[in-house]
Amino acid sequence: MSFWDKVEGIDRRWIYLMVGLMVLIPFIFPAKFPISITPEAQALFDAVEAVPDGSTVMVVFDYYPSTAAECEPMAVGAFHHFFRKNCKIITLSNIPLGGPSMAETVSRDMAVQYGKEYGLDFVNLGYKYGYVAVLSGMGVSIESIFPTDNSGTPLSELPLMDSIVNYEQIAFIWEIADNATADYWASIVNAQYSVPMVCGATAVMAPKFYAFVAAGQFLGLLGGMKGAAEYELLLNESGAAVVGMGAQSLVHLLIIALVILGNLGFFLGRRYREKKR
Amino acid sequence: MRTTIPVAIAFLTGVIVVLATWFRDDSFIGGLKQELIIWLTIVGGFTLLLGVVSITRVSWGSIQRRSDGWGYKALTLLGVFAMAIPSVLSPTWSTAFGRADGSIYDWLFNYLQMPMMSTMFATLAFYIASAAYRAFRARTVEATLLLITATLVMLWRVPMGEYFLNLFPGDIPSLLNTYIMNGVNLAVQRGIMIGAALGAAAMSLRIMLGIERTYMGKG
Repeated sequence: MSFWDKVEGIDRRWIYLMVGLMVLIPFIFPAKFPISITPEAQALFDAVEAVPDGSTVMVVFDYYPSTAAECEPMAVGAFHHFFRKNCKIITLSNIPLGGPSMAETVSRDMAVQYGKEYGLDFVNLGYKYGYVAVLSGMGVSIESIFPTDNSGTPLSELPLMDSIVNYEQIAFIWEIADNATADYWASIVNAQYSVPMVCGATAVMAPKFYAFVAAGQFLGLLGGMKGAAEYELLLNESGAAVVGMGAQSLVHLLIIALVILGNLGFFLGRRYREKKR
Repeated sequence: MRTTIPVAIAFLTGVIVVLATWFRDDSFIGGLKQELIIWLTIVGGFTLLLGVVSITRVSWGSIQRRSDGWGYKALTLLGVFAMAIPSVLSPTWSTAFGRADGSIYDWLFNYLQMPMMSTMFATLAFYIASAAYRAFRARTVEATLLLITATLVMLWRVPMGEYFLNLFPGDIPSLLNTYIMNGVNLAVQRGIMIGAALGAAAMSLRIMLGIERTYMGKG
């Protein structure tokens, strides 16, 4: 067995160990590298900046708890940005598993920071089944789709919802998604009701949404934890995404090194065997 | 009768929703569409309940028979009911009920479910690294192109990689954004989306016309 055959057949546990170390090292020895801002992230920031102060906006938590590492920094960033502009925030989710609870956690934490009051400055509508029906139905009446908020309080008892009937009173939508629900926000809410919106998506989903950015349906886009880190920098908030960039950098570099090594092992090992014959 | 009525309902509801596109929201058809949408969210709620009933029946049967893995089924049931029951009880009885901050549901979600789901997802990084090492081979021209593109995008999407790319002349990160993400990727995504939308429209038409009946459990 040649050296390259041994390289190709390396035990997977060594690879797991290397990945584990690459995740840990940046937290023990943090190193800062410049994070550049992509045009899509800058466009998103500018679009939120352009929202009139004090207007009512929606932040949509369409992600599962499993992708919170990528999506939650975006949600936190959105709350920073809107609360700084004194905007009123309505949150909702099309994800039954966790969406409403994550919206609850993020909004309550951020409200404490900015001294905002539930029912007056922000409301969590929670989850309702059937995203196409929900998005379409809210175009006519939000209260007919969500008669109560996430805790079961009737919307009529929440002062923020007094003046909100449908999308006409919503100045802006910030969709955070780890799945294809963002398609429906673009094709139903933006296309049919012309509500300006932006999207933050996991790195896996983001490539799909470039089409909506190019079409002008999403005014900006954040892709994965890197996108969230760009947004944190634009907001002058060094949050979880900027911290996570070190681990993500090293793991990406490790995977690239492994792909190169694996290919070297495959081709040089094959050449060695052919020569031997 | 068991076929005709569901097909008729599918046809009528489909036609109303499609027709409503050309009518104002406050028109009769618009109002009918809104009513159907509300019905859909209510019926959808019952399908979630059906899921709970189904998992309870299947798991309870396994526990009674003491079949392989019955302990896991017991844990599943415990998880389902420990989260579901306190969350549907009225918070006016106790702050531990409901889904608000500080409730049992909230506690279980934040300190058990969320870390467990994040952990499961995080283990993917280990499997992807191992799979990339073993399977990502430049055997063909297409595979080589994919490999080079993936490597460049992976480098670009992290600060250290971008720093490395910037050591070369020609603003590579900007070129990647312009020609890969907003070029090739954009064209492919649009193609896929248009194809999927046409497929969905065709499938909807088949359901409305009663050609597609698999949703009724028939071929």
